[in-house]
Amino acid sequence: MKTFAASSTLALLAGLGLASVALAEGEFAGITIDAKLIGGQQYEALYARIPEWEAKTGAKVNIVSQKNHFELDKEFKADIAAGSITWCVGSNHSSFAPQYPALYTDLTPLVPAETVAGFVGANIAAATLDGKLVMLPRAQFDVSALYYQKSLYADPARAEAFKAEYGYDLAVPETWDQFRDQAMFFADPPNFYGTQYAGKEEGIAGRFYELVVANGGKLFNDDFSPAFNSPEGKMALQWFVDLYKAGAVPPGTTNYLWDDLGNGFASGTIALNLDWPGWSGFFNDPSASKVAGNVGVAPAPKGAAGVRTGWSGFHGFSVTEACANKEAAASLVDFLTNEDSQKLESAAGPLPTRTAVWDHVIAQAASDPYKAEVLAAFQETAKTAFPVPKTPYWIEASNLIYPELQAAILGDKTVDEALQTASDAVDGLMRENGVY
Amino acid sequence: MYRMRLPPWLVLLMPAFVILLAVIAIPLVLSLYSSFTAFQLTRPETISKWIGTFNYEKAMGDANFWAAFGRTVLLLTVALNLEMLLGLGLALMVAKVTRGQRLLRTMMMFPMMFSPILVGFQFKFIFNDNVGLLNNALQSLGLSDVAIPWLVDGNLAFIAIVTAEVWTSTSVFAILILAGLFAIPQDPVEAARVDGCTPWQTFRYVTLPFLMPFIYIAMAIRSLDVARAYDIVQVMTAGGPARRTELLWTLIGRTGYVDARMGYANAMGYIAILLSILFTVYFFRKLTTARTSLGMGG
Repeated sequence: MKTFAASSTLALLAGLGLASVALAEGEFAGITIDAKLIGGQQYEALYARIPEWEAKTGAKVNIVSQKNHFELDKEFKADIAAGSITWCVGSNHSSFAPQYPALYTDLTPLVPAETVAGFVGANIAAATLDGKLVMLPRAQFDVSALYYQKSLYADPARAEAFKAEYGYDLAVPETWDQFRDQAMFFADPPNFYGTQYAGKEEGIAGRFYELVVANGGKLFNDDFSPAFNSPEGKMALQWFVDLYKAGAVPPGTTNYLWDDLGNGFASGTIALNLDWPGWSGFFNDPSASKVAGNVGVAPAPKGAAGVRTGWSGFHGFSVTEACANKEAAASLVDFLTNEDSQKLESAAGPLPTRTAVWDHVIAQAASDPYKAEVLAAFQETAKTAFPVPKTPYWIEASNLIYPELQAAILGDKTVDEALQTASDAVDGLMRENGVY
Repeated sequence: MYRMRLPPWLVLLMPAFVILLAVIAIPLVLSLYSSFTAFQLTRPETISKWIGTFNYEKAMGDANFWAAFGRTVLLLTVALNLEMLLGLGLALMVAKVTRGQRLLRTMMMFPMMFSPILVGFQFKFIFNDNVGLLNNALQSLGLSDVAIPWLVDGNLAFIAIVTAEVWTSTSVFAILILAGLFAIPQDPVEAARVDGCTPWQTFRYVTLPFLMPFIYIAMAIRSLDVARAYDIVQVMTAGGPARRTELLWTLIGRTGYVDARMGYANAMGYIAILLSILFTVYFFRKLTTARTSLGMGG
């Protein structure tokens, strides 16, 4: 009977998603965990849970830095260089993580296996570098799906004109070729554009990367030598060039980053927009967006190889190798990514990284058709999503690639010249660092 | 027991020496040393990996570095001359004002009070091709029916950056030249008028030579400022697109802090410092000549 009661309790806890870590009362009393966390209004709700963990464990959390990831990245690098890793828990991101191979400890021995099993497998795979689980993902999973203005597909005269010009029915694009046709068809510059894209830094390098993959190519070979100067790579870059040359994107798109894109689509001047899940609420908010009520969301289109684009990333929390109280730090990380934490974060819109929380948010959205459409589109895209290449030189390589992509888009170089130059530069980078 | 007694002057100067050593000399020597190593921020152990002049040779052979170098010199030349002309004009006009001059002088300094980062955001918005003030104004006035890519086209982006620099720093010239105008002895000016000089001749041959030392001081200060231009450009274009607006310090900043290649960034930085030294030496020589011609000594 006792055994039955115990196992029933365990089953109940597991059912409630509390099986990750059973927090013993006051088990970390007297310990202070210094943390460097990503800052911003959208992240604060989760941090408001920290006192709950402090009350249960007796430990204290001291947030020593709160900045965006780009600023944190610079701070981490300065800390590594100065040898002053005096903090225990850090916000991490799958795109930045490969740069700090020695900064964070392997969480595998610190976190129960069943906790790890509760996360989406692809996320855990992306959080594992060289066999080390360097972070636990939080409910801030990012992959891009297609936002579009529904009214553009409801006009019979427009549909007829499109069919006459392109020879097939006007419907929400399922491939990137259809996307390009429709973006050119809808464009009416300078008042209305078919689409837009992030045009600089990791933004365009990431978009190029996912399009290369969708076309059946690779950014890097297995030894991390560049592989994008290929027919698939040329096809991908040509897609950006065609849209720019045709005037289907705003002329300033090569300077745009995420905020410009989000505000651009919300201004009602963009027909099709590949964008992140965090914008879904903003786009459909009548007080912020001119396209509210007219937003459709579909899975990311497919490339020439029949593969969806799916460059993805997620936020997470890591424990430093230098941390003196790794168990306590891992307990905090576990707490911040457990089911309750993920439910709290994903209630505001961001996508979860735990299987059970995915089910939960989908069930919650059943009565809201727009939210259900958003979740269905992103869940479908997430199925085939992939992280950035797992090399410490990803950011550096993307900084070598993106100016060349821009040069081709703006007509300073041909597609062949740009990719050759970028490939040579990345090859030099890898050789200089002794990668091969 | 013998106690070494330092001379009082040395004891008094010691705090200054220690501070200078800590905040200038040691970082300078360390950064110079690291420019000969493969130092990467994310791999602290690389600071001991001596690679000789490899970083310098790499920078010298890098077309992108020299393009950024040339662009920085061009920005420096254009911005400094424009600021000097506009600052001179402003100062001459303000000097003529008899009522409310103090208020005008204060107002003239407003742009200097803004953080360069904010100035960058302000001009980025003004020059935005889609929602920017300038394009919307041009389109509303019927002067243009296209979205002019101000921050994309190399020449237009250069103009946009120069505009932001000139807006924020013309008052440096104006204030220094105004100080010069107040310091000019009135006897030669009045003598020139009595001798029948036209206003232009009075300005050209009497006022301007007196102002030249002030102008060269402003030039020297601003040349150092522009040669290390970073924040405004980083916010407006980040050196792009396609490196069209890349300046020395946007390139060096990205190499050092984003790519984490601090050794290489420091090598580029030391070559870039040569530019600042050259301009400073040039302006100080001009300053000495101007002072000598005024009989003020070298």
